[in-house]
Amino acid sequence: MSQDNRAASVRTKRGRFRAIAVFPFAVLFLAAGGELPGQRGEPPLRIPTDVAWTGETLAIISRGDAFRGLLLARRCNHCHGEEGFSAVPVIPNLAGIDRLSFWKQMEDFKSGKRVSAVMQEIATRSSARDSADLGAYYSMLPTGSDSLDKRWFPQAMRDPSRASMAIELIVFGDGRRGIPPCQACHGPVGSVKGAPSLATQNPDYLLEQLSHFANGDRANDINVRMRSIARQLTDQEKTALAEYYGAGLGPDVSAW
Amino acid sequence: MKKKIGFGVAITLFALALLSTRFYMVDLPVWHILGGGEGPDPATLHLHGEFVESNLGIAKDAKGTFTVRMIAQQYVFVPQCIVVPADVPIRFRVTSADMVHMLSFLGTNYGLKAVPGAVTEAIFSFAKAGEFKIPCHEFCGPGHYAMRGRLEVVSQNQFPPLNPEERRNCEPR
Repeated sequence: MSQDNRAASVRTKRGRFRAIAVFPFAVLFLAAGGELPGQRGEPPLRIPTDVAWTGETLAIISRGDAFRGLLLARRCNHCHGEEGFSAVPVIPNLAGIDRLSFWKQMEDFKSGKRVSAVMQEIATRSSARDSADLGAYYSMLPTGSDSLDKRWFPQAMRDPSRASMAIELIVFGDGRRGIPPCQACHGPVGSVKGAPSLATQNPDYLLEQLSHFANGDRANDINVRMRSIARQLTDQEKTALAEYYGAGLGPDVSAW
Repeated sequence: MKKKIGFGVAITLFALALLSTRFYMVDLPVWHILGGGEGPDPATLHLHGEFVESNLGIAKDAKGTFTVRMIAQQYVFVPQCIVVPADVPIRFRVTSADMVHMLSFLGTNYGLKAVPGAVTEAIFSFAKAGEFKIPCHEFCGPGHYAMRGRLEVVSQNQFPPLNPEERRNCEPR
């Protein structure tokens, strides 16, 4: 046997060995449906937010220290107001905000899941602990009216005839379209993790967010909840809801 | 004596019936949540697994079988409106993100319980085309009565072809 022939026979033996070694994997592969991982037939993954209400998340938020939050909040006063009531209508009021939703929004601004040029920069510099402290502080601020301060809130409804439309949606929703009542999640009748109270929120901010949810510009709600609801509301209903809550007429969680 | 035995048997059967109701209504859901079942974690449905929002709706795999994936949560079904072809077996996979809910397909004999921490699976085929309401049929909280989904059944030739990596609902995403 020449050198070349021996090499060739070794090669074929190796090839045979390789075939035997690969065979069981091929059988497994075919048994599994013959799909390669890349061809699994799944749409591109979309994750609305990195926050999930797991025990660890809740523990981080509930460790929030309100006094440290008070010191940190000096930076927020400029836009969100010294008592948590903003002077600019499209900037949300933070007084009495639910601390879970506050923390989630900060994390979403940080990860870019909720888009805001201003807030992303601020949230990136705020650690998870800072956000928890701020949330603890803002959730304690009183939402009751104060005769001495000059706040933008409440704003009288531009069209009071829309009030009945808003009341109906807040209290009953619209079952025919699958719109649940606002108060079932946003309080005071029921509560859902991550749903803030709307009772003292600025009307322009509410309207903007409702429209963003409806057209998908804001898509950081867990399991498409607010997007499904906002999509079904007409423009008139969105305005009615925003103005009604913005007029301080909505059912108040703190009064409950 | 015979009467007494009969009475005893009747009482035992009645007690067993009561116990079985308890088993299905109370223990089973609790086991699913606390027992470390194999189902998806209701708190992290949106992060990974088959119930991420981009994977919901009707899908058709390479073998041509239809699968509908849905989440029930307080107080909306996601997707809120699903569209399926008529006269084809369709596999439903449903889970819940919070409470026990139930999908009741009005106008048909079908119903599905959505249990947190477990996937409920069933194969339904809808004979007639049309629109069906899917009210929640298990009390789930103050918004329960307004929790309603919609099912659109269209004839097979009206159902456009579906790629394996495509998901469809009757509402825009």
